[in-house]
Amino acid sequence: MKIDELDLDALTELFNIGLHRAASSLSDLTGQRIIVDLPQLWVCPIEETHARLIELLQGDLATVHQIFRGTVTGDAVLVLQYESAARLATLMTDGEVAIGGRLDQSAREVLAEIGNVILSSCLSSFGDMLRVSVSFSVPRIHVESLEGMLRSLQVDNEDLHFALLAATQFRLSEEEVGGYLIIAVGVSSLTIIADALAAGEL
Amino acid sequence: MSMDSGLLALDDKSLPVLLELSDVLEIGVLTLDRDLVVCGWNRWLAAASDLPSDDVVGRPLLELFSELQGSAAEAALRRALDGSITMWAHRFHRFLLPFPAPAGYEQFARMQQSARIMPLLRDGGSAGVLVLLQDVTERVAREEELRAALHRAEAASQSKSEFLASMSHELRTPLSAVVGYMELLEGEMVGPVAPQQKAYLGRVKAAARHLISIIEEILTFSRVDAGKEEVHRELLDVVKLARDVEELLEPQAVLKGLALSVTLPDRDVALVTDGTKLRQILINLLGNALKFTDEGEVSLEMSVGDDDVQFCIRDSGPGIDAADLERIFDPFTQVDQSLKRRKGGTGLGLPVSRRLAHLLGGDLTVESARGEGTAFTLRIPLAPGARMPGSDLGATQSV
Repeated sequence: MKIDELDLDALTELFNIGLHRAASSLSDLTGQRIIVDLPQLWVCPIEETHARLIELLQGDLATVHQIFRGTVTGDAVLVLQYESAARLATLMTDGEVAIGGRLDQSAREVLAEIGNVILSSCLSSFGDMLRVSVSFSVPRIHVESLEGMLRSLQVDNEDLHFALLAATQFRLSEEEVGGYLIIAVGVSSLTIIADALAAGEL
Repeated sequence: MSMDSGLLALDDKSLPVLLELSDVLEIGVLTLDRDLVVCGWNRWLAAASDLPSDDVVGRPLLELFSELQGSAAEAALRRALDGSITMWAHRFHRFLLPFPAPAGYEQFARMQQSARIMPLLRDGGSAGVLVLLQDVTERVAREEELRAALHRAEAASQSKSEFLASMSHELRTPLSAVVGYMELLEGEMVGPVAPQQKAYLGRVKAAARHLISIIEEILTFSRVDAGKEEVHRELLDVVKLARDVEELLEPQAVLKGLALSVTLPDRDVALVTDGTKLRQILINLLGNALKFTDEGEVSLEMSVGDDDVQFCIRDSGPGIDAADLERIFDPFTQVDQSLKRRKGGTGLGLPVSRRLAHLLGGDLTVESARGEGTAFTLRIPLAPGARMPGSDLGATQSV
């Protein structure tokens, strides 16, 4: 499987549709207008994600993982910097959680639900469009370093070799809060995605 | 049931284990069949809802709690039948099942809940829905108290600062009148004044001026503390500014018999910053050094780095114990209270200076040891705002 065999434009479009579905679910949940920028997308081996992300993400990260299994298997992760995770939770709840910028238990729950909404919307629209079936795990939130996050990308002890890395910003009203979405998949899953894209099933 | 992060859904064979655990973990375990008829209602749910299992099992959930009909809860339950897992954080939904608030938390109409709604599997296919429910009322109440306390503290601090700002103003106005009339008397504008009287008038005027400068300090501090101090940036030559400060304080050094050595670059150094505030910080630091040094030397050294301009102010005064070093930047603190009585001052000079330095995008640090003098380093960035956190990140960057 060569990375350049993937149709990146089609994949970006796929992500874009998924993210807009996620934004509309988020908007339903919070009653806030949510604007999503066009995502930037890379496909790279897992070991390269570190080099790409280290430039952009320092310090502690708040991540929401949702493992998916089915025809395509992998780990979908919403990655936010600790401070922006706290800000997002505060914005979403009109300042009711993350008092003093700390990710307290309630803030973590709020983020887990936000992650759940974003990741499931994205993954199910992927599934729908690629006509592959996926089911998800319960979302889990972690506060960890970048290295810790990348180490934890594993499903059934199978190391995941490739990552689809999508960087996007979403804005809530006037405030800008952005995050990364990482979908890590094994080689066989990447082949299935490439085949589905090549077959023009979009 | 797998306990790793790969938990996708629960097979109904694992239910007895979960029910055993639920008593220990104090969570509600609700199972529904594909028609959303209640199949399982654990002890926790019976106690929390006041509905015994016999009254509930076998009845459709939407009939038991008619307010769930057409709600987001119903949608989430139906999604689970299609294999989706939904998290419910109480902050968005407050509650999934309308149970009464626990005793002692009557301020809430309902028990506050967090929930997980997931498919219940049988032989690999979806057999129904599993709901795990947690009572978070106590936590929510605690957080609300915390939030209220925080707001109270912020309001109190804000009103204290506003009070200080207005009081300082009220105090300064009559004092200006005192000084003004004193000058009229001293200048014999309204009649002759005997030499002895003139000397006394001079002392009264000096004391009034001193009082004004203390009030000025309190005024600045409360403005900065209340976030009302504004920064007016202008292009200026900092070498000239430092020379002005030197000229202003030199008489004080001469009066105390101290050597004042000033080392400045031999060229102009242009900087965009708030000149008034920078001058105020330098006067504070040099004035302090002169005040607390009884013999020896006070020096000001200015150097230009890649990103900032640095001013180092050293003295051969009594020095500060390591343990007290950071405390000197706390408002109303003078490390040696006997010095405070002897030397006077509000203890606001350094906190004000550090806050002003931060306002200018720079910092003020100190190095000292008891008996070895003190060195303050003031750093002011060459380009304000150019290195704001995160500004070098691209448009699609995470926040």
